[in-house]
Amino acid sequence: MSELIEYLSPSWRDEALKRLQAELPPDKMNNVTTSMSNIYKNCPGGAEKFLFVECKDGKVTRVETGTGEPPQAEFRIIGDYETFARISRAELGAQKALMTGKLKLKGNLARALKLASVSDRLNKVLAKIPAQY
Amino acid sequence: MTRILDPKDKYYIDNPGRVRDIQKEMHKRGIDVYLGSRIRTMSFVLDAFCPWRSYLIIPPEGQPTYFTFVVDALRVGDETWLDSDHVRAYGPMGGMDQISAITDFIKDELGITKGRLGFEDGISTYTAEGNLTHWEYTHFKDALPGFEWINSHDIIDALSLIKDKGTIERFRTASLIVDEGHKAARAALENGGYKGITETVIAGIAALAMRKAGSVSEWNFAGLNEISSGYRTGLGACTPPTTKEIKAGEPLMLDYHAMFKLALGDHSHNYLIGPATKRQRWHADNFVAIIQKVIDNYKAGTTPGTLAAMMMDFAESRGCGDFIQPACEHGIGLFGDEWRIGSVVNPDLPYWTDQDHVYQENEMVVCAMQYAAPEEGIGFRYENDIVITKDGCEVLSKYPLGIEEIV
Repeated sequence: MSELIEYLSPSWRDEALKRLQAELPPDKMNNVTTSMSNIYKNCPGGAEKFLFVECKDGKVTRVETGTGEPPQAEFRIIGDYETFARISRAELGAQKALMTGKLKLKGNLARALKLASVSDRLNKVLAKIPAQY
Repeated sequence: MTRILDPKDKYYIDNPGRVRDIQKEMHKRGIDVYLGSRIRTMSFVLDAFCPWRSYLIIPPEGQPTYFTFVVDALRVGDETWLDSDHVRAYGPMGGMDQISAITDFIKDELGITKGRLGFEDGISTYTAEGNLTHWEYTHFKDALPGFEWINSHDIIDALSLIKDKGTIERFRTASLIVDEGHKAARAALENGGYKGITETVIAGIAALAMRKAGSVSEWNFAGLNEISSGYRTGLGACTPPTTKEIKAGEPLMLDYHAMFKLALGDHSHNYLIGPATKRQRWHADNFVAIIQKVIDNYKAGTTPGTLAAMMMDFAESRGCGDFIQPACEHGIGLFGDEWRIGSVVNPDLPYWTDQDHVYQENEMVVCAMQYAAPEEGIGFRYENDIVITKDGCEVLSKYPLGIEEIV
C-alpha cells in the first residue's frame, strides 16, 4: 500500500504537478489556457487553504497550495474542506457538488462549461493521489 | 464568434455609441451601475435575440456585461457584438444562480460596492416586458447592501425613441416580409381556397412564407400571427388564431408579424369572404376611409391625443363613431419594445401612452385601429409600421390598403 501524503501539503502539491503533467498531455487538456483556485473553508485547524492549478496551451504549468489569499485565477471554486475531501475520495461528484450549491463557482459560467470535461479529468488524476485528509 | 459591426452595412446600428449614450445619462444622474432586465434593453444594446431571462450590467464606462440562462449564452455570444468575456451565463450551480453571479460580478469584477444602482421597474400590458420581479429586487438588494436603487428605465426608453437609419431599414425589410405573408394568404384564400381552412392554418401559411422571406419569428406575445374570422372579428383587439374554419359571408382579419434583425413587421389586413352584404361593405368602407384619414394626418408635431380626437370626429361624421375604438397607434421598436408611446411616465395614468407626446421625425409607431360591431358579428383591424417624417409619415407595409371581397 502506498504511503499516504498529507492532502494539500507541499509533498501532495509536488505529486499533483508530477501526475498531472504525466497523465494529462495538452491534447487531453484540449490545449486550454486557464487557471483555477479552489478555496477550502473550514479546514482542520481553522485556516483557509487553497489549491491553484494553471494550464497554458494544455500543459499543466503550475500547482500551488497554501493558506490565505490564492493567486489570481480565471475561476474560483469555494467550498468546505470536507466537500473537497469527499470529491477527492470519489464519494461526491464535483458536478453534483456544484449543482447542489455545496461548491460555489466564480467566473464566466459559459466558459466554465466548456472546461467541465477538462476539470473532470484533472479531478480524477488528483483523486488517485493516496492522501491523508 | 463575436459579430463585427460594419458601418457600411445598411442595417448597421452603432451599439457601442448607444452604450456611451446610456453611460452619459447615468453619469448625469449619478448612477454608478445599471442593471437592465427588460427584453427591449437587451435588444437595444446587444442587438441580439434574447428570449431567456437576461440581465445587462452597464458600468460607468466600457462594455456592458450580459448574463443569460446558461443554455443560451453561447448562441447569444455568437450573435452579439459584445466580446465573449462580456457574455456570461447563470445556471443551477452554487455561486452561479442569477443573484450570486450578478452581484459577485458587480462587487468583485467591477469593484463597485456602494453607490446608486439603476434598475428597471414598471408595469406592462404583456407578461414578457421583463421588469425586475419582487423576488429578484429583494434578493439583489439584500446581496448589494451598499446601494441606493433608482428606477431608471426611462434612460433607455428615451434613447430608443428616435430610430436611427439602420433600425428604420430593418423595419422596412421586416414590413416587406410581412407583405409576403399577406400575398401567400391571399393566394391560399382566393377561388374558394378558404373552404376548410382554419384560422390557425391561414396563420401558418403566412408564417411559412414570411420565414422563407427572411423572418426569424412571428414575435407577437399574444398569439404570434393574430387571426379572426366571422363573429370573432368583432371581439376586440387581440385574437390568437383558433381552429374555427373560415366561412363564406364572414369578415376575416389577418394580422401578421415578422421579425428581421429584431425589427418587428406588423401589418393587419382585412377581407370580406363573399358574398358580402351591403351592411358589411358599409362597415368596410368606413374603416378604410378612417385609416386613410389617420395616415394622412401623422406628422412630426402632432400627438396621439390629437390624432385620436380627429379620428373619432371623422368616424362620427360618417355615422360609425360607435364602432371605432378611441386610439390609433401603439409603440414599436426592436424586439421587446412595444405598446406605450413616449418615454415619459404620466403620473395620472402611469405606463400608458402619453396622449400629449409630441411626435418627432424618425420616431416609429404602429398605426393601429380597431373597428368592432360585435352585435353584427363584424370587425376589422389595421396595423402598419410607420416612420414619422417632418411633413407626414412613411407607411412601411406596401400591401395595398383596402378590404376586398374574396370568393
